[in-house]
Amino acid sequence: MPEERAQQTFEIAGGDFGGKLMVTRRTGRAVRSALEEALMDLPKGGTLYVDTRGVELMDYSFADEALGILASRVASGEYGERHLVLVEEDRDMLENVEASLMQRSLAMIRVDEVGAEPAIVGKVPDHLVDTLQAIYDAGSITNTALAAKLGLNNTACNNRATRLAKLGLIHRKTETAAPGGRQYAYERIA
Amino acid sequence: MKTQLELNVSSRGAMSGVLTMGSLDPAFAAATEVRGEPVEVDLRTVEFVEPAGLCGLAALLEFLCARCQDVSLTLPRRDVPAYLERMNFFRIFGDRIGTNADVEALEERRRHNPGTLQELINFHTEEEIPGIIHRISEILENQGYRLRERVAICSTLSEVCANAAEHGVSSFGAYAAVQAYHHIVSGSRRRGEEVLIAIADGGVGVRETLSRNPKYAEETATDNDALRYALEMGVSGTGEIGRGGGLALVAGIAARSGGSLSLRSGTGRVTVYESRKNSRNVPRFPGTFVRVSLPRTPQEKPAR
Repeated sequence: MPEERAQQTFEIAGGDFGGKLMVTRRTGRAVRSALEEALMDLPKGGTLYVDTRGVELMDYSFADEALGILASRVASGEYGERHLVLVEEDRDMLENVEASLMQRSLAMIRVDEVGAEPAIVGKVPDHLVDTLQAIYDAGSITNTALAAKLGLNNTACNNRATRLAKLGLIHRKTETAAPGGRQYAYERIA
Repeated sequence: MKTQLELNVSSRGAMSGVLTMGSLDPAFAAATEVRGEPVEVDLRTVEFVEPAGLCGLAALLEFLCARCQDVSLTLPRRDVPAYLERMNFFRIFGDRIGTNADVEALEERRRHNPGTLQELINFHTEEEIPGIIHRISEILENQGYRLRERVAICSTLSEVCANAAEHGVSSFGAYAAVQAYHHIVSGSRRRGEEVLIAIADGGVGVRETLSRNPKYAEETATDNDALRYALEMGVSGTGEIGRGGGLALVAGIAARSGGSLSLRSGTGRVTVYESRKNSRNVPRFPGTFVRVSLPRTPQEKPAR
């Protein structure tokens, strides 16, 4: 299992933003700044669980402003190696989150509850899906071991995993491998 | 001498006597000719006002009040003035226009209409929208609307109002109204219930907004081209990724539910149904207007 990294849960409906009804970009911006703050309060490598389960309605404008833009900033490395996971059941409301992530060619990891099996919201390129699945199955895996598992050479494997790390879907760290070598290892974020 | 603005209220068929957006067309056309002289809008052929007609009338009166001092409304007797009163129409326009209706008498017998989900409301900024949504959501919940229906109605209202607040900047802002009916109002005389949502603003319109983005030159050649394009996912005036999804998604919700979304601006009008999109050239509307029909499927009564 991966070493314990910090995690924090942020309940959107619990804040002073709009309770069960999340509408407009303006509200989305307010929620996003609160989420950014919570994210930056985490040590590097930490995961912020964004819990939207108490929300009844999230319009597209809100979803894009609060989560779409946040995911795009995670993907551009703005928050360092800090990760985002959506806590939400598979229900209609996800459509707007999904639509925003699809527009942005991004994806997020989603769980029904903290600790539950992860799923994907949004778009992960087809050729990366197996790689993502293998990393989540392993929990934590070195580049060499992952390459062997997927039948890829080390460089191709590294490229794919790096792309997943950039999308914010996995955690990547450098491991010192005996003797004297260093290589990447990948971990699931939820 | 007063300039009379005539309406085109159909006297036959399903929409007989109904004040729709379309029935205001001749009045909008004539209104552009008004140069400060007294104007009278004649509603005497109207028997029934739907939210689209109400928001359209509000936009027309704003347009007229900006052009002349003396604007009056001639109303038929009975139902129409009472409905307008219940929809807060006189609260918004009472001080600015003259009318033959006895508004004070109407106020006395003011009653709540359970089908009214949102009276005529005037708004200017995005900041006002969450309050509007919270209120209508509470009404819908109290009236037993299911979560899915509440989400459809509320997200349609919030997205379209947000567009109006963002792009529809004008001296009067925008108007919205929502009404539920125990019958189908739009088009055919099917059985069922229907919720109608209407929003009108006095802004620059869809084509002008989209053509601010030079890369959309081809898609904004006509008003109808611009409207069709605006209804596609991810099309917005700023062209930023992630923008321009709201309208496409709420049009999809309406279409999938068996209803429709109609978008009107300039001389174009596009209506989105489940399996088709209709475009029509129409007389110029000075702003942007959206009408959404959401049919309700009968709710199964819980066994007692």
